[in-house]
Amino acid sequence: MPKRSILHMFDPMPNNSPFDINMALDAGFDVLMPYSNVKLENVHHLTQDIIFSRGPSGAKKTAIFIGGRDIGLAIDMLQACKPAMVPPFEVSVFADPSGAFTTAAALVACVEKVLKKHHGKTLDNCKALVYGGTGPVGIATGVIASLHGANTTLIDHLSVDSANDTAKQYNRLFDAHLKGAAARTDAEKAALIEDADIVFCTAKAGIKVLNSLVLSQAKQLKVAGDVNAVPPPGIEGIGFNDFATHIENATQSEKALAVGALAIGNIKYKLQHELLKSLLDTDTPLYLDFRDAFNKARTLFNYE
Amino acid sequence: MEKPFILHMLTTAKNLSPFDVNMAMDAGWISAIPYINVEPSEVRGLVQDAIFSRSPKGLLRTAIFIGGRETKQAMDMLKMAKNSMVPPFEVSVFADPSGAFTTAAGMVAAVEKELMDKFDTTLEGKNILALGGTGPVGQAATVIAAQAGAKVRLIGRQLDKAERIAELCSEEFGDGKISVTAGADADKAEYIQTADVIFATGAAGIELLSSDLIAKAPQLKVAADVNAVPPSGIAGLDAFDNGKPLPGSISGAVGLGALAIGNIKYQAQSRLLKKMLESDQPLYLHFEHAFEVAREFIKSTNY
Repeated sequence: MPKRSILHMFDPMPNNSPFDINMALDAGFDVLMPYSNVKLENVHHLTQDIIFSRGPSGAKKTAIFIGGRDIGLAIDMLQACKPAMVPPFEVSVFADPSGAFTTAAALVACVEKVLKKHHGKTLDNCKALVYGGTGPVGIATGVIASLHGANTTLIDHLSVDSANDTAKQYNRLFDAHLKGAAARTDAEKAALIEDADIVFCTAKAGIKVLNSLVLSQAKQLKVAGDVNAVPPPGIEGIGFNDFATHIENATQSEKALAVGALAIGNIKYKLQHELLKSLLDTDTPLYLDFRDAFNKARTLFNYE
Repeated sequence: MEKPFILHMLTTAKNLSPFDVNMAMDAGWISAIPYINVEPSEVRGLVQDAIFSRSPKGLLRTAIFIGGRETKQAMDMLKMAKNSMVPPFEVSVFADPSGAFTTAAGMVAAVEKELMDKFDTTLEGKNILALGGTGPVGQAATVIAAQAGAKVRLIGRQLDKAERIAELCSEEFGDGKISVTAGADADKAEYIQTADVIFATGAAGIELLSSDLIAKAPQLKVAADVNAVPPSGIAGLDAFDNGKPLPGSISGAVGLGALAIGNIKYQAQSRLLKKMLESDQPLYLHFEHAFEVAREFIKSTNY
């Protein structure tokens, strides 16, 4: 009997996300094994237990998924898997805590696509703002944008210290160039948005972050993407299915275009599916984080 | 390729019941995924995570099972799960905390069959004593029997607790359409005078009905016990008894033991798990549905 494929799902939280479970089974894994309350120091041992029980050919049908809520921890866990491998006893690992990596990758890829097609620009040297920038999706979005040349600011809705700390922490981890800022009031939001080219909205679901008044202050806005799928949208006036749709509320930025949450969600879904499948299809072990997710998302748009 | 059948199994306890896992796999679910120590407040998040990663067609092959230990908590979680759906993104949900709903359904359906076979009558208007009735099986059996027309008295060692649970059964689980009364265990000798049916649903190893009391029950017809661990909850009753005369009964009562009831419970749980696999629309299943399928099973066989 051929060996069945197994996905070992590490999660620092008490439970895995049912979203990831459905995705993993639909990508073709035969058996899912949840491991909850996993700590960073457990990862080495768990990984070695995984690689030594099936032989190198069985290892090809075995992979590790890292979930949770904390993207720093997820990256640390992914890193901790690597030295535990003993080639040829080696398996692929994919980190996507709360789906944040694939969501961020899909968001940036959608925005980049619209930017290129309708404005003839790349992310390079654009001024990008990430509202909800200290949450998991926001941080990953900021790092991807920064690594592709955008002058990116993570915005916290309460504390500039928290934004600055987060920016510093992830700059150190990924060689990014993030800045931090706080936007507590419409006036503060308006001041930030004035010369922004790109707005990423990754705040909590159901909160209107940018109202029409704030949007009307944007003087050179080109593309805004919002990942919030629960009404009302995070950016007033944009539709969940928008893709390169004109933002009427940005009255001073005639060419501002929106990407809505369902358009992004559709790419995110395909992306996560493809990445999970790649764990089964690959001949050499893969270690996938949000940077790989972004590269894959670009290929979904027929980029290189 | 058709998407695999996925059952997300939620429990408030620190482990799932292996009984439920075996049942789910044998009913045809391909993957049974555990979610443990689930707080009721986490149900919405888990449900919405489950519904948004498959298409409505794929969701017909996805469902949620709610375990745990407490009847009210499980019913609340079932309601919460239902309220968290975003049609057409919606999946079936089946609550069966500690298997109590299907056990209760199996017991009441078996009692109903004995009443018909041996006494040519129904549950309608029968006086039922639910001994040890404050636990999960007792609560569900009380509600099912009362909904079938029986007059149920829920008996517990502490009267105030029995009263509280009787009210919960009437108002919450019975939707205010049934009226369950309460009684103290110390007063069983009085209640046994008019009892037609006994449910014994107490903790394992406690005798709830003595041979002395059986001899003082002038109109007892059926005595059912869900406890499979000796000594049995009803004196003289064996776990394998399936309509056998109850030793010492002056009214020709018959007994139903835990293993006879367990067989129907097994069928009820299996059928509900299969229903979710086969349904072309989302189902929300609890003790009422368990009783329906337990009755169907009894009708379908010469069991």
